[in-house]
Amino acid sequence: MKDVYIGVDVGSVSINVVAIDGSNELLYKYYSRTNGQPLEMIKHGLNSLKNEVGSDINVLGVGTTGSGRQLAGVMIGADIVKNEITAHAVATTNEHPDVHTIFEIGGQDSKIIVIKDQMVVDFAMNTVCAAGTGSFLDHQSERLKVPIEQFGDLALTSDVNVRIAGRCTVFAESDMIAKQQYGFSKPDIIMGLCRALVRNYINNLGRGKKLNPPYVFQGGVAANKGIIKAFQEEVKSAVFVPKHFNVMGAIGAAILSKEYIEKNDVKTKFRGFSSLKTNFVPSSFTCNGCSNNCEVIKVESNGQIIAMWGDRCGKWSQSVCYVG
Amino acid sequence: MSNKVSFPYLGHVIVYKKFLQMMGFEVIMPPAPTQKTIDLGVKYSPEFACIPFKMLMGNYIEACELGANTIISSGGHGPCRAGFYGEVHQRILRQMGYDVNFIIFDSPKRDLFGTIKKFFKIKNKQSISKMVKVSKVVFPVLKDLDTFEKKIHTMIPYEINKGQSLEVWREIYKIYDEVYSQKELLEARAEGHRMIDSIKLRKVNDDEKIKIGIVGEIFVVIEPSINMDVENLLCSLGCEAERSLYLSEWVEHNIFGEKHEKTIQDLGEKYIEILIGGHAKTTVGNIVDFKNRGFDGIIHLMPFGCLPELVSQSVIPKITSDHDIPVLTLSIDEQTGKSNNLTRIEAFIDLIRNKKTKEKVFSGGKK
Repeated sequence: MKDVYIGVDVGSVSINVVAIDGSNELLYKYYSRTNGQPLEMIKHGLNSLKNEVGSDINVLGVGTTGSGRQLAGVMIGADIVKNEITAHAVATTNEHPDVHTIFEIGGQDSKIIVIKDQMVVDFAMNTVCAAGTGSFLDHQSERLKVPIEQFGDLALTSDVNVRIAGRCTVFAESDMIAKQQYGFSKPDIIMGLCRALVRNYINNLGRGKKLNPPYVFQGGVAANKGIIKAFQEEVKSAVFVPKHFNVMGAIGAAILSKEYIEKNDVKTKFRGFSSLKTNFVPSSFTCNGCSNNCEVIKVESNGQIIAMWGDRCGKWSQSVCYVG
Repeated sequence: MSNKVSFPYLGHVIVYKKFLQMMGFEVIMPPAPTQKTIDLGVKYSPEFACIPFKMLMGNYIEACELGANTIISSGGHGPCRAGFYGEVHQRILRQMGYDVNFIIFDSPKRDLFGTIKKFFKIKNKQSISKMVKVSKVVFPVLKDLDTFEKKIHTMIPYEINKGQSLEVWREIYKIYDEVYSQKELLEARAEGHRMIDSIKLRKVNDDEKIKIGIVGEIFVVIEPSINMDVENLLCSLGCEAERSLYLSEWVEHNIFGEKHEKTIQDLGEKYIEILIGGHAKTTVGNIVDFKNRGFDGIIHLMPFGCLPELVSQSVIPKITSDHDIPVLTLSIDEQTGKSNNLTRIEAFIDLIRNKKTKEKVFSGGKK
C-alpha cells in the first residue's frame, strides 16, 4: 500500500492535482488547462493520478485550494479547504525554508507573499487589473502569433532594450503596436513585454513593502525564462524557481491536509476514486427570503443535495448535513 | 403637496424613520439595498463616482419610485467630493423626471443661517420641547442598537448553537422598531439584555481570541450590503469584529460635540497632519486606537478610487511597522462576487493566527 496525500488547486486557468507521500515528496503531478470545464478536469486529473501511482494507493488526506476550492472540496470530499495564499506559502517554505519573498503569477491573479521565519507576515494580491498576470502574456502571444511556450526562449535572444508601457494592458498593447511599427524584432518586443509585466507587478503589489532576498518565483508564468530574467534585473539578485513551480498551490494543499489529519488524528473524508463516476450538478438560485437576495449555490449528486453556500443568514447552508 | 420624506439607507435606518415619524412626517422607507439598487445606481451615476455615491443614487431612485418627494441627507466638509453629492443626486433625479427636494445638512460652521433654516424644516412646525422629547427616545434607541450590535459581534465566534446570536440580533432589532416612548424603550432594553444573556457560549481563553478592527470610509464600513457583510464574515471565520464607526458615535461627535473622535484624530495626527477630507485622519487614528486596545489586526475598507482613503492606504505601511499591527486594505466597488476578497481575508486571518500563536498552525481547523 502506498500512503498518499492529495492536493488539488482549482485556478482560473489551470487545474493542478498532486500526490505527496508522508515526507512531502512529490509522487505525481498533473497540470492542465481548465478549458472551461474545471469539474471534468479534476476528475480526469484524479483518474490519471490513480492510474500512474498504482492501484494499491491509500489516500490518507485531501486538500483543495484555488478560486474553485469550495466546489472541488465538496466534490472530492476534502479534509481541508484553504486559500491559495497560505497554500503557496506552505509549499514554498517546505522547499526553501529560508525564503523571504515569494512572487507568484498565475493566469488571472498574482501575489507577493512576504515570509519571515517561515510564516506569512504580509501579502498582496493584484486588485483590479490583469496587466501583471499570465492572461496578459497569453493575449499578446496571440497577437504576435508566437506560442506562449516559446515566449521565454525567444525573449532571451533579445539584445535591444525596448521599453513598453506596463501600467495597463490597453496602454501596453498600443505601445507594443507602436514599437512593432518602429521595426523592432519580435524577441526584443517580447523581452520588453516581460519587463513591462514585472515592472507593473512590482509597482502594483510591492508598493510599500520591503522585499528581501532570497526570492522564489512560482506559478504558471514561472515557465517563462524572459520573466525570470526580468525579475532578476528588477530585484538585482538571484530568483529561484522551484522544481514544481506550476503546482505549488496543490502541493501546499496536500501538505496542509497531511498536517490537519496528523494533528487532529482523524480519518479522511475523501469520497474515493469510484465516486468520481457520480455526477455532480452545481446550480444557483436567488433566495427571496429577505431583501438580501443572496445568490445561493447548490450542488446535487444523484438527485440529492450535498452542499449549499452563498447565503448570508445560513438558512440554506445549515440545512444540509455534510454527507462524507 | 404633502411632504413624503425619505433618507439614505445606511446602518440602522429604523432610527431615522422613527425620528421623522415622531416629528409628524409621512415617511417613505427606502428599500434595503439589493442588486437592483446597485444596478440602478451604476446606470444613472457618473462612471467615475465612488460606490457610496452610486449606492445612494440607486437608493434614492427606489425611494422616489415609492413616492418620496423630499430627501434628507448629510453633506460633508473638507475636500472630499461627498460634500457635493446631495446637490448632484438632486440634479440627476430631477433630470430623470422626479420632482424631489433635498434637505442637506452641512457643517453649521460653514453656513449657520442655512442650517438653522433647515433645522426649522425638520422641526415641521412642532414645538422645540416635542423635538427634545422625540430625541430622548430616538437617540437612546440608536445608542442601544449600536451597543447590542457591537456585543453580538463579540459573541458569534463562540456561540454553541450556530446562528443563534444573529437570530437574537434580528429579534432585538424588531423589538426596537416598535419603541415609541420612554417606557417601551426601557422594556426593550431589558428584553434585549435578557436575550443576549440567553446565548450559550463556548469558553475560550482570552489569548486564543482574535479581534479584528474595521476602519475606513463611513459608508462602506457601516453598510453590510456593500461591504460583503464583513463583520459577520469575520465572525464566521472565528474572529471578533468591531467597526471604527457607529452612527451613535458619529451623532455624539457631530451634534453633541462629544470628544471621542477628537481623541482618535489626535492619534492620527502623527501620520496625516491636515484634514484631507473623508475619514482619512480618523481611519489612521483608529488603527492606532484599535492596537492600543489590544486588537490583533485591521481590515481597512475603502471605496475604489477614494482619494482620502488612498492617502491613508499609503501611510499604513508606516503604521504597521511603528505599531506592529497587520492591516489588510480592501477596495470596494460594484462587483458583488466576494471570492477574491474572501481569499485575502482568509489568508489575513491565517497570518494573524500564526503571528499570535508563534507556531506554524496553517491547518488550524477546517473551514
